[in-house]
Amino acid sequence: MRLLFDRGTIVLHDLPSSLDPSIIPGVLWDPRIAAWRAPGRLAYPLASELRRRDVRLSDRPHPQLSPPTGFQPVALRPYQQAAFDAWHEAGRRGIVVLPTGSGKTRIAFAALAATRTPALCLVPTRALLQQWANELGKYYGGPIGCLGDGQRSLAPITVATFASAYRNMALLGDRFGLLIVDEAHHFGNARHDEALDMAIAPLRLGLTATPPAPGPTLQRLSTLIGPVRFELKISELPEDSLAPFDRITQPLWLEPEEQRTYDDLRTLYRGAFAAFRITHPVAKWDDFIRIAANTDSGRRAIAAWRSCQRLLAFPRCKQQALATWLQRLSDRKTLIFVADNDTAYRVAREHLLMPLTCEIGRRERSVMLEHFRSGKIRALVSAQVLNEGLDVPDADVGIVVAGRGGEREHTQRVGRLLRPSDGKRALVVELVVQQSTEVQNADKRWSRLVA
Amino acid sequence: MLPESDIPIRLVDNEAHLDFLGAQDDPWLRLLIAEFDRFEGFPRRQLSEALAGPMPRPAPQWKRRAAARILFRLWDRERPQAIQPALLREVLFRCAAQSKAERARVREETAFVLQIPPEQLSRWLFCDLPSERLMKRPTASPSPQVLRQETNLAIAQAALMRAATVSIDLVGNARAIVRLARLRGLLCSVMAQPNHAPPTLSLSGPYALFRHTILYGKALAELLPRLAWCNRYELRAQCRLQGRLRDVFLDQDSPIAPAKEPKPFDSKLEQRLADDLQQHATEWHIIREPEPLTAGKHLIFPDFLFQHRLHPERRVLVELAGFWTPEYLSQKFARLAASNAPNLIVCVDAERACGVQAAHETLRLLPYRGHVDAKALMAKVEGLGI
Repeated sequence: MRLLFDRGTIVLHDLPSSLDPSIIPGVLWDPRIAAWRAPGRLAYPLASELRRRDVRLSDRPHPQLSPPTGFQPVALRPYQQAAFDAWHEAGRRGIVVLPTGSGKTRIAFAALAATRTPALCLVPTRALLQQWANELGKYYGGPIGCLGDGQRSLAPITVATFASAYRNMALLGDRFGLLIVDEAHHFGNARHDEALDMAIAPLRLGLTATPPAPGPTLQRLSTLIGPVRFELKISELPEDSLAPFDRITQPLWLEPEEQRTYDDLRTLYRGAFAAFRITHPVAKWDDFIRIAANTDSGRRAIAAWRSCQRLLAFPRCKQQALATWLQRLSDRKTLIFVADNDTAYRVAREHLLMPLTCEIGRRERSVMLEHFRSGKIRALVSAQVLNEGLDVPDADVGIVVAGRGGEREHTQRVGRLLRPSDGKRALVVELVVQQSTEVQNADKRWSRLVA
Repeated sequence: MLPESDIPIRLVDNEAHLDFLGAQDDPWLRLLIAEFDRFEGFPRRQLSEALAGPMPRPAPQWKRRAAARILFRLWDRERPQAIQPALLREVLFRCAAQSKAERARVREETAFVLQIPPEQLSRWLFCDLPSERLMKRPTASPSPQVLRQETNLAIAQAALMRAATVSIDLVGNARAIVRLARLRGLLCSVMAQPNHAPPTLSLSGPYALFRHTILYGKALAELLPRLAWCNRYELRAQCRLQGRLRDVFLDQDSPIAPAKEPKPFDSKLEQRLADDLQQHATEWHIIREPEPLTAGKHLIFPDFLFQHRLHPERRVLVELAGFWTPEYLSQKFARLAASNAPNLIVCVDAERACGVQAAHETLRLLPYRGHVDAKALMAKVEGLGI
């Protein structure tokens, strides 16, 4: 019998008459080709199952790329070693949960070095693609492939963005034996899950600081990568693992005319949402947006909500406060977090600070990050790019002007500042408009971070 | 491609009806084009903000958003000749970081160093970035009719981008559709229909067996403009729209702009044979790409149908076997035999066709070397005695 990889799936050929594949979980009859088929992820479990049933396999998928060689030893801190050991002992499948800034990537490098099998590292953004490739280069002397951000090269160790992996897994699925998924919490909600389901790699390591809450998403994530094998909270980390930080929440007030506008807009959309909840008691905000878009009054409500968001993104009080803070902290390396690209460009124009948005190209981003590291520029302003994973080692001040991504985004943003160095004490300044939704959101974000 | 939120659809139970633009939409389309013209030289962001507000003439919200997306795609952007915006940013932000001077002073100094007009510095600073690019009218501004056509195609493609499976009943040009589908990695199964109705093609990707995935949506959407070249088609798709799988239906009456005309010939071999037959088959109509033959779950696409001018009941199909391996050739012959088409001549490359004739005696083989001899083929056709 033969198991053949077919564009992200496994097709069962030359079945012995004694075998009934319908009883093997995950294997389905495909009437389109008159054969049995399974998702690529099941390649190894399927082979084991067939062996257990004494079925002889003359051919089965295995990683097509040659194993990587040339790894330097990766030194791990004790808690990183514990996380690695937990993953290793659990069959080299599963998720490691560690706070942002605690060195999850190191664990990934240790896994690459220890398994010595061709590996595909998945990262959420183009910015992280380059960072991973650069960091890998410090521990690994061989060629590093990159998929995404205009690059398309394959090597025994390849880094790919989620989007590129999703598009190309039909071709790549049988090349690698190890999958490393950075910011693994992005999976499990069906958006890009095919990328993990179509790969044959039996070894899988997921890394995240913010795992999904127990429920269907986490369950699906466990199926695709493996269960959570190790988890450590900020409070459980050794003291020197993260830089200590101070938090300042600066209360701000809208100008009377802005406050009036804000209140009017909020009344409009809250009224529409309350009416919607009466007819749809279990519906969520996303459902409201979708259904409201079909009526004039609904569209007015959505427009009002968007206007509220825009107003809170960078009102006059925040403009003044930001200017003051920038002046006061002019000698410190500062990251400014805003809600959207428009605001990032506004801040950039006004204060002559480099914006780092998803629209800035790879080369320019690298140059600017290098200038930031070397101190040639002192501040970066970003909406989303700095939210996750991107390593900005020397930054020690974060000014949170506004955000859209809730508690998870906040945890990630603060994490950018907590990479430890000698004598470092980080400062997080949060600008919070009073008498607005920002007050409640800010409290929620911090309570989650501390927890 | 249009995002899901911009697809104009009407939902009726499980069906999604695509709300195409028609001639009645031309007046507001004209206004929309004029609005774009008004923003020439301004950042795209400003135009987007203006478009979020009401228009002088009422326009259906979703149609308008879809048409605006297409116009954005058609419009060009201004490229400053004097400097690369990325270089301008690097110099300006570095100067600003190292200078204690007023911001305005830093701007002036940077403009001086880079030898650009100070008043243009702010304008050019981000003009290469998608949301900040400066709008530039295309050389040929689209008419409302062209915009309508392009928008309708984009609407249909955006829906198909979210398709999990597609099935198509089609007449004419089936070969091009099947070929493209396979090239895009789709599985194409054929269901013969009773009473000589056109066969149904079901298209989906290998992985679609396990989940209603939209992974193959792009490949499925690419087929759409080619369908416009079919004589007749009916397409049914299951698309994930507004959180659920919904049925979408399109046919030849859907206002979809066709793609470039498909190439008339697959290969030079076919083209040369067609040219030669002009001289040697004067008594026959030579019809390119006749309707496919159904052989079990497969379709076979003969390259030519010869139909006698005086006796139209005399019909012979000709297939050029463009094969590469003996296995492929054997499989092809097995399918041709199963199609039960007695008046079929298969032209095969003499160097590779060894030992296949005996197995399928009902088929007429014409070996060729380099090119198919039109005279020899006509002799074979006449020799069939039909």
